[in-house]
Amino acid sequence: MKQIKQHRLIARFAVENSDNFEVITIFDDEIQREKLDKQNPTLMSISPKYTTATWFERKIKDDFGIKIEGSYDNRPLVHHERFPTLNPLRKDFQDRSLKFDDFTPYKYEVVKGEGVFEVAVGPVHAGIIEPGHFQFSQEGERILHLDIRHFYTYRGIEKSLENTSLLEAREMIERISGNESIAYQLAWFDIVLQASGVEYDEKLKKYHCLLLELERVIDHLTDLGFIPNDAGFGAALSFASQLSEDTRVFLKELCGHRFGFGSVGFEVKEYDKDRILDFLNVLEEKVRWFEDWIVDIPSVWSRFDTTGTLNKQKAKKYGVLGVVARASGKRVDTRDNLFYKKHGFVLQNETVGDVASRFKLRIKEIYNSMRLIKNFIDEPSMVKKPVKFCDGEYMSFVESSIGELFVYVKLKDGVIDRFYARDPSFINWQALYLMMKKDIIADFPLINKSCDLSYAGSDL
Amino acid sequence: MIKFWQRRVENSIVTRHLEFDKDLEDIKKELKSKIAKKFAGSLAIRMVSSGSCNACEAECNALSNPYYDLQRLGIHFVASPRHADVMLLSGVVSVNMYHHVLEVYHQMPQPAYIITLGDCPLLEGVFKENFAIKGADSLKLPISHHIRGCPPEPKEIIRGLLDFLEDFM
Ligand code: SF4
Repeated sequence: MKQIKQHRLIARFAVENSDNFEVITIFDDEIQREKLDKQNPTLMSISPKYTTATWFERKIKDDFGIKIEGSYDNRPLVHHERFPTLNPLRKDFQDRSLKFDDFTPYKYEVVKGEGVFEVAVGPVHAGIIEPGHFQFSQEGERILHLDIRHFYTYRGIEKSLENTSLLEAREMIERISGNESIAYQLAWFDIVLQASGVEYDEKLKKYHCLLLELERVIDHLTDLGFIPNDAGFGAALSFASQLSEDTRVFLKELCGHRFGFGSVGFEVKEYDKDRILDFLNVLEEKVRWFEDWIVDIPSVWSRFDTTGTLNKQKAKKYGVLGVVARASGKRVDTRDNLFYKKHGFVLQNETVGDVASRFKLRIKEIYNSMRLIKNFIDEPSMVKKPVKFCDGEYMSFVESSIGELFVYVKLKDGVIDRFYARDPSFINWQALYLMMKKDIIADFPLINKSCDLSYAGSDL
Repeated sequence: MIKFWQRRVENSIVTRHLEFDKDLEDIKKELKSKIAKKFAGSLAIRMVSSGSCNACEAECNALSNPYYDLQRLGIHFVASPRHADVMLLSGVVSVNMYHHVLEVYHQMPQPAYIITLGDCPLLEGVFKENFAIKGADSLKLPISHHIRGCPPEPKEIIRGLLDFLEDFM
């Protein structure tokens, strides 16, 4: 049988032009554009072939009121129970506030049958985390199905950025997802350079990439504490949270902010290189100790091993990204290019795709990131702050600590006409339910944490 | 586990020598005595994230790390509004969270206090009212205290909690 190669779906979103709606679909090897009539716009679904197109299409429907045909899931995505029937991303929608509509119940996707019951979790959770809803269909302890419903933190960022200048937009873009702030800023900066025709200075680029790796180290360290904590091993959290705090304090020392807000700019000042090396050496020693210690705790591994498995085949089918993908043996990393390799990047992989793989992968990536940081250390430098930007479409890809981040900006008359960002979480969330199939509900927090997806980034 | 205890002895108690922040110690002492007086030694906080970027939550999580170790002062983040004295509200109060925030508040036993965290809830930062953002004022609930910052650093949150205890009671 001839095997048809499946492309990887990166994003699918709509843009409103003066006389039509344009749906842009980005694959790893091509870009497709479909123009839809403004009267009664209808789009053929690609979700039967690309499962993760589902959320993209449901979002297009909510945002623009474009009808989707041939999809098995037509529920609203971004608009919740009391959201009025509006299409806020249409250009003629300019209301600044919104009146709640009557309550229309949302239909969860559940399994029915004798003895099967549902467990609803969220949107407000027990711990200190972002809001989201998880609807479990249970057969006793065993999870039969999980329906995820998000977009509680939907802030209308795409619309808010319209008609602002590219330079002004930065403050909001860096606040889309706090843990990935530097990654978002890098995507923004890349687009600024593309649109102004200014060349990326090598030293500046190295500094920006250094910050990005530091962000990754912080996020991974945080997870190294929280994942075992969700398996009931609190000592790991106490230890790893010290390391992530140390690194956060260090990030502030370097760039002035604990999350790196405002740190990606047109200039890099002189910084203390030895200080970075010293810091990394101490940190590396501590991480090695941590690794050495935790591999010997059997009770942790008996919870980690074989829990929340996503096999490679499914990982491919869903086009998952970042840590989740690499833990399942899928080699996908935006950093897999010459520039990074020159500075010591080695793509890290695991094979099994369970919680243990994701945990081990994070440790490996921390080591590689620390090596990259050392090699990114360089002299001060700057590029001229651009003032003029050419109209057009721009795209950028950055590997955030979660995975491949994609940002699209269309400039018209010197201001943003359409902004769209596809956080890696947007894809990975859709694959999360696959990891639950063989597990019990008590494993859910552990599995969820091992993926550490962003709610805010995917909600926009 | 031997390794762990060795390390534990080497490290001793990290909160004791906070090189990077001296005055935190004083704030903490004061805070502990205030909580002892006003909340019988235990202040229960329910964190509600209502449309934030997650940095404010990350800073709240940092409060439990061994450097700040808020639990030692009698401050607990609790899992249910029914156990809480204070709702710590972060985020812009999105349209999709609006009714859930109200619900949390109404489940809290009275007297219940609201502390807003970060620039988001009062729309002082980059996010302003729009079709998806309501802001905490729209809830029409009494807000007892506000902690500024984007995000407020752990020390500022601790300071803010102390100010709340001072002004409010
Ligand atoms: S106040 Fe700032 S840091 Fe906190 S949630 Fe809002 S944007 Fe994020």
